Amino acid sequence: MRPSESLSWEALMHAANRGDQRAYARLLGEIAPVVRGIVRARGGALGAEGCEDVVQEVLLTIHLKRQTWREDAPLRPWLYAVTRHKVIDALRARGTRVEIPVEEMAEILPAAEGVDPFEAHDMERVLGQLDPRAAQILRAIGIDGDSTAETGAKLGMTEGAVRVALHRALKAVARLRERMIE
Amino acid sequence: MKTDALIAALAADTTPRPSPGARMVRVLPLAVALSLTALLTGWHVRADLASALGSVAVYKTAVPLALALSALWLARGLARPEARAGREWALIGVLMAGLALALAWGLAVTPVPRIAEILDTPDYANCLISVPVLAALPLAGALWALRAGATLHPATSGAAAGLIAGGAAAAIYSLHCPHDHLMYFFPAYGVAMAGVTLAGALLGARLLRW
Repeated sequence: MRPSESLSWEALMHAANRGDQRAYARLLGEIAPVVRGIVRARGGALGAEGCEDVVQEVLLTIHLKRQTWREDAPLRPWLYAVTRHKVIDALRARGTRVEIPVEEMAEILPAAEGVDPFEAHDMERVLGQLDPRAAQILRAIGIDGDSTAETGAKLGMTEGAVRVALHRALKAVARLRERMIE
Repeated sequence: MKTDALIAALAADTTPRPSPGARMVRVLPLAVALSLTALLTGWHVRADLASALGSVAVYKTAVPLALALSALWLARGLARPEARAGREWALIGVLMAGLALALAWGLAVTPVPRIAEILDTPDYANCLISVPVLAALPLAGALWALRAGATLHPATSGAAAGLIAGGAAAAIYSLHCPHDHLMYFFPAYGVAMAGVTLAGALLGARLLRW
């Protein structure tokens, strides 16, 4: 199915849990189309951008709850459970009630990668509410693709301080998004 | 912000997140130790503690402790969104069935006037207040730990947190309480633990959503 050098999601998450950023980025990159497929299958009425907001919310939740995956368990059931919970929650908050039978989760096809920019709206609004330094760090690392060390050099902070600020910023983003749609 | 940018930001955040189990280990021993210290200083231990713990009366300590530990196991299982926690539920079920049998037997062999007599002591109200008071810190700790989890059943997980705290508090309070009759245990310890469990369920329904 996948190229032979591809690693299982379990192996990638295992490496990610030990601080391997490349493995983690790759895992999230592979997970995103699966999540997007599920969101579009159920929340098509939200439109492409609305769907992408939900996809980002799910990815953020996966990130902040990743410690609840047990390393000796397969990753997919955990991933589907988190995604299903969050998609139902996010769509309900936007006024759409959906049912997703657990056994159907694995059958939904991943969304095809296209020229679609996958731009989402909510995140911009959240970044606007974040304190400016936190937003700056998120943009530098996310959009400009800087490392934490480069971001630190740019902003006159130590790398450790950038790491702490980034972690807090992501938690704040999750909190703000929660409040925004309630 | 595009999704690829978000992924880059998420991947750069390597700060580990604590698991609910790790938080339990951090906070519960401390909370229980503080409640125990409170009992030793604010209440007093029963005069015949040593002989009581060596007799059948030790059930008043052991049963709440067993409930607390099995609730801890259940809470940990429920904190995983994909887990069914079947074995954990089975253990709780066995314990509850055992307690129901004990209660039925106690009601069958103890005449109602005798039960009224057993409960006719100011210690009864004291127990119903003391156990929730001693449970407050462990309950806060257990709920805090479970907030790191991803339960699909917030109220149930909260109830498990309540049983952890209520069980621990009842076990601690048993070191003080001189009443060993089964028909004292159920109306006093049982009701107090059930109350803390209910409080946990109500709090969990709000605090454990994600």
